[in-house]
Amino acid sequence: MGVADSLMNDFTHIIDSPEEIVAAAEGLRQTAMATEITPDTILDVFEAWASALGAPNTSNIPGVAFLRLWLRRGTLEPIIHRELGPGALHRDWAEDGRARLKAYPIGVVGHWPAGNVEIQPILSAICALLGGNASLVRIPTDLVDVTRRLMQKLDQSDTSRILTGRVFMAAFDHARQDLQEAMARAVDGAMIWGGEEAVLKVRALPFPHWARLAVFGPRMSLAAMDADTWCDKQERESWCRRIARDVWQFDQQACSSPQALFLERNAGHSPEGFLQDLGNAFEAENRLHPRQTIQAALTSAICQARASWLLDDTANKALFSLSPDWTLLLGCGSEIPKPIQGRTLTVLEVDDLFEPISKLDANVQTLGLGVKDTEKEEKLASVAARRGVNRVVKLGRMHVFTSPWDGVDLIRPMVRMIRHVRSTE
Amino acid sequence: MIEALGERIDRLLASPVYGIPPEEKSLVLLEMLKDELEYACERNSGLQNYVRHWPVDFRLTRRIADLPYLPVGLFKTQPPLSLVAPAEIKRTLTSSSTTGQQPSRIALDSSTARRMTKGVITIVQNFIGSSRRPYLVVDVPGSVRGGQEMGARGAAIQGLQPFATEATYCLSQGNQGPLTLERDKLLEFAESRRESSVLVYGFTYILWNHLVKPLLEDGTGLDMPDVHIFHSGGWKRLQDEAVEKRAFNQAVARVFGCSPDRVIDFYGMVENVGIIYPDCPAGNKHVPGFGEVIVRDPLTLEPVGKGEQGIVQVCSVLPTSFPGYLLLTEDIGEVVAEDGCSCGRRGTCFRFAGRVPKAEIRGCGNIERKR
Repeated sequence: MGVADSLMNDFTHIIDSPEEIVAAAEGLRQTAMATEITPDTILDVFEAWASALGAPNTSNIPGVAFLRLWLRRGTLEPIIHRELGPGALHRDWAEDGRARLKAYPIGVVGHWPAGNVEIQPILSAICALLGGNASLVRIPTDLVDVTRRLMQKLDQSDTSRILTGRVFMAAFDHARQDLQEAMARAVDGAMIWGGEEAVLKVRALPFPHWARLAVFGPRMSLAAMDADTWCDKQERESWCRRIARDVWQFDQQACSSPQALFLERNAGHSPEGFLQDLGNAFEAENRLHPRQTIQAALTSAICQARASWLLDDTANKALFSLSPDWTLLLGCGSEIPKPIQGRTLTVLEVDDLFEPISKLDANVQTLGLGVKDTEKEEKLASVAARRGVNRVVKLGRMHVFTSPWDGVDLIRPMVRMIRHVRSTE
Repeated sequence: MIEALGERIDRLLASPVYGIPPEEKSLVLLEMLKDELEYACERNSGLQNYVRHWPVDFRLTRRIADLPYLPVGLFKTQPPLSLVAPAEIKRTLTSSSTTGQQPSRIALDSSTARRMTKGVITIVQNFIGSSRRPYLVVDVPGSVRGGQEMGARGAAIQGLQPFATEATYCLSQGNQGPLTLERDKLLEFAESRRESSVLVYGFTYILWNHLVKPLLEDGTGLDMPDVHIFHSGGWKRLQDEAVEKRAFNQAVARVFGCSPDRVIDFYGMVENVGIIYPDCPAGNKHVPGFGEVIVRDPLTLEPVGKGEQGIVQVCSVLPTSFPGYLLLTEDIGEVVAEDGCSCGRRGTCFRFAGRVPKAEIRGCGNIERKR
């Protein structure tokens, strides 16, 4: 066995039999039940982990810059406080009238992350760990190496083995139904992420009747700007950079990636100037984060989208590179376009932002906004929320993973809230 | 403009099909393709809009690879993407398409149809000579009927017709039922043409499933040593049955009683009218003087180097009734050499490596079905 193999086996485990999964789950359960850890202790380890992730072999992994911020006490403490209540940081009981409340773990949480977000196996596991659970994670095949490197840093940071004993990263082919079923049978809860096909397959696995399932299925996201914002030439460059950043992360394949941008029409300003600035921002982002690989089918889809956009309507415009690196399609109308992905953003001019936003439905997860008028933004957010949108955020922050996500808390679904009414009452 | 263009195309069609030195050919094609693009833009405002937005001005480019190309998927529209008035369309070619998918639709006027025939003849002549011979079609007679519309199978069958003294179809299909081999008709054809040169054509999977496999199973040989067997249509279905090209060639040769080098696979698509790419004895596909093939890296869309794989782009100066000059296909190919194949044919030679694989569905942003 080579050094690389040996390292891989330290932090990620190649699984070939259901028995290995059963044994791993049992080991995790024993560890989780043996000692109670406070979120405060976990956060200490996370702080050290965040620092360790700045090392050269992990800092360039997509999403790690965000992960390092997310692991900080300043990010997670408010989430713990909001979801689990005051006192949860030190696992104190919280008074609730004549009773008292405290969160306890449900046990072993199974994680089925999506294959398109490099840090998702880690993010998902963290949510369960914060509730005091142990995490059994099925790593998508393409993410095994990245996950191994990230876990290596946890191992370095967690000198007392508070968390490393509570996480088991299992690598096996998604088509191994026997292993999938064994994993489902062995857990007390599951966090399931990904596209429709993947999510439906995992949900159909034979989980125990008590298992809690938190499902984060496929969604798309959109962006919108009012005329005052996109016509403001002084601020435009900064907004364009924000949009480019949102498009670039996860190669526009995440549920929080904007697929279209609606611009409120302003008679005095042509959107073509804005498109040019946005093109410059895309080009700059591309220089900073060039694509390393692409599926030929995505390249074909991008070429097809460019050509059909311009051929179908001679009023349509576009800006794109000779390579498939990025594409901007400019037109009019409030219909939600079909997502192309691969850094292809459809920019649509509308008379009124309420037109497209009142057409949104629950397929839309996040609405990224750039709106100067606060009152108008609040109205837009309310309309979007009524239509099924779960997150309304400032442009440039569309991927900021925080609680709630998809309208669901991240820690609370995997804890039991215990109510104790004193017998002396 | 179109008359002058037509004359230039005809002159190129009359040149040695695989004999033009690559540098000379590139210069000639570049200028012709630029002029054709200009002509096409005048005739189609949508295309003009696309070309206007291309990141570089095509009139100033020095490489064919920088000219604005169209993805073949654009031809899956109704009415077909055309450069001529509906009344001028003499025939519409349709591609084979899998269930539920739209076929490509290619509008041909009489000039383009004539050049299509001439192009295929020029290429095939280079492989089998110009004499006419008995033509065995491993298909049903209905494949070439259909009036104004013609499918890919029909187009391929008809493309070889100029080499035929007579055509014999050896399959039948009753009432949309399964294809059936007319064994007596086939054996009689083989018996009576044993001494002569014969041309055979069939779609790859049809030839295999409806002629080769049944005859292999019962040990029947056709004993036609002077035969050339052309087939096309792709390997996907045979790969599903784990039939490799070498084994295929040997099995076909055994049934016909000829040497395996008489079995010629050719790559072609209805959108690339007038050009087919038969395998040479070295196993490579060659590009005729009136076309070019560029293999593009999916990551950069730049042409790949020798030995590298990428998305195949086909170029042709032949069509003037539809904008089929520069087409990005949905196929993967590999450039073998830019010149100097051992068979003696000049210019780019390449190999076909399969269809562009369908994108993996793996992301949380992949909405297949709306709520």
